[in-house]
Amino acid sequence: MKRILVWDIPTRLFHWLLAASFAVAWASSGSDEWLSVHGFSGYLMLGLIVFRLIWGVAGGNYARFSSFRHGSLAGLAYLRQLLAGHARRHIGHNPAGAQAVFLMLALGLAVCLTGVLTQGGEEGHGAAAGLTGVAVGRLFKEAHEIAATLMLLVVIGHLAGVALESWRHRENLPRAMITGFKEAPDEALDDSPASRRYPLVGASLLLSAIAFGLWWFSYALPAALAPKSTADGAAPQVAFVGARLPDDPQWREECGSCHLAFHPNLLPARSWRKLVAEQDKHFGADLALDAPTAQALLVFMENNAAERGPTEAAFKIERSLRDGATPLRITETPYWIKKHKEIAPADWRLPQVDSRANCAACHRDAEAGTFEDAAMHIPKAAPNARF
Amino acid sequence: MEKSLVALALILSPPAFAAENPVLESYRGAAKQESPAFKDFSAARGQMFYHAKSGELSCASCHTESPKAEGKHAVTGKEILPLAPSANAGRFGDPAKVEKWFKRNCNEVLKRACTAQEKGDFMSYVLSVK
Repeated sequence: MKRILVWDIPTRLFHWLLAASFAVAWASSGSDEWLSVHGFSGYLMLGLIVFRLIWGVAGGNYARFSSFRHGSLAGLAYLRQLLAGHARRHIGHNPAGAQAVFLMLALGLAVCLTGVLTQGGEEGHGAAAGLTGVAVGRLFKEAHEIAATLMLLVVIGHLAGVALESWRHRENLPRAMITGFKEAPDEALDDSPASRRYPLVGASLLLSAIAFGLWWFSYALPAALAPKSTADGAAPQVAFVGARLPDDPQWREECGSCHLAFHPNLLPARSWRKLVAEQDKHFGADLALDAPTAQALLVFMENNAAERGPTEAAFKIERSLRDGATPLRITETPYWIKKHKEIAPADWRLPQVDSRANCAACHRDAEAGTFEDAAMHIPKAAPNARF
Repeated sequence: MEKSLVALALILSPPAFAAENPVLESYRGAAKQESPAFKDFSAARGQMFYHAKSGELSCASCHTESPKAEGKHAVTGKEILPLAPSANAGRFGDPAKVEKWFKRNCNEVLKRACTAQEKGDFMSYVLSVK
């Protein structure tokens, strides 16, 4: 027996970075506050998988796909042999492991691509921004969740397989994926020569991942480095910077003096028509808008109302309304109510929040009207509140 | 020679600091029409008006006790920039804007329109706050 290098450095780095990014992506899924981290781990995964596909052709002996193309049923046969206790030991990927590798690469690619399309459709961000509308983005989200769940199942299968193989063949496979070395019988070395380390490729891969992370989170770095007192006591949070919605100085002046200028995309056009028509009794106040001003405001509002679906919030608010329902308050729309159910009563009473109309207390992009998931942040009750 | 020129300039130059706000000027005209007994606006009366409660609300409810301070909308909590031109130069320059806000806010606080006398008193007070 001889100790030989099986897993080259790039393959090992790929493996652990992929495992970490999948774990982080899974842990950060479904959370608005962690969406930026989720997006980062997803794009990192995509980059890693693309690298692995190239490395599967150009990499070290045991990293090449040609070295572990065992056929589609060989994996099951190998598992049966392994359980029966007479499976032949493989120095590289065994047939079952190989199948898991191909499945994870394919599913990983599917998860990443559907994720990018979801981000582009639902949030209007990322590589696929503007490619589809919110409705199609939601379909991709379904596919994204299914693919991710399947991938998790394959990962669990992979872990079980590693445990079984390590036990059956009395060798520590996880350690081999760290050190790269495995024991090889002398006679096997002729057709399975040791791999090379490829340190330069490995260093490039690692530096690329780090550079990508720094680039992605550079938005948060100034906040992270700033003294705590100026950072509102809140953990720094990366917000997406997406396309800006249409704006109008007159609208902002007229509608933004007494309250946040609620962007027209938050209510359907019929609501805005009613609000303008009833401007003399605007929640108890007479807005006293002259006719040309009212008309100009209405044009801007109708052109950018929820039906246009420019944002996820607009799409979902509009969809949640019963036919013909004409809410005058955004907080009366079923989507708003559902979305804010989980907010603790204590958070509503925070001095920084004060009113349900004060969207900007938690939605950092409320002025812009985008209401992005990643810009959502419930303020902490400051120990020395200024109020 | 030079001294007399300076003196002459001082005499001839209109008292720019005391020039009346054009919007206030127009309310003066309106007040005269409104009541033949109108004499002048009074900053002191304006100050009382500013702080006087009508039901729950007064001007100070949103604009705070001092027109120089940043206010806060009593219902929505939206911040309101200072009212006094000494703290916020843009105030009381645009007649249409001034009239719009008087209409809105008088209705909201007093449940009626303000008289030209009240508007002028109010403006005299707010403009006098340095």
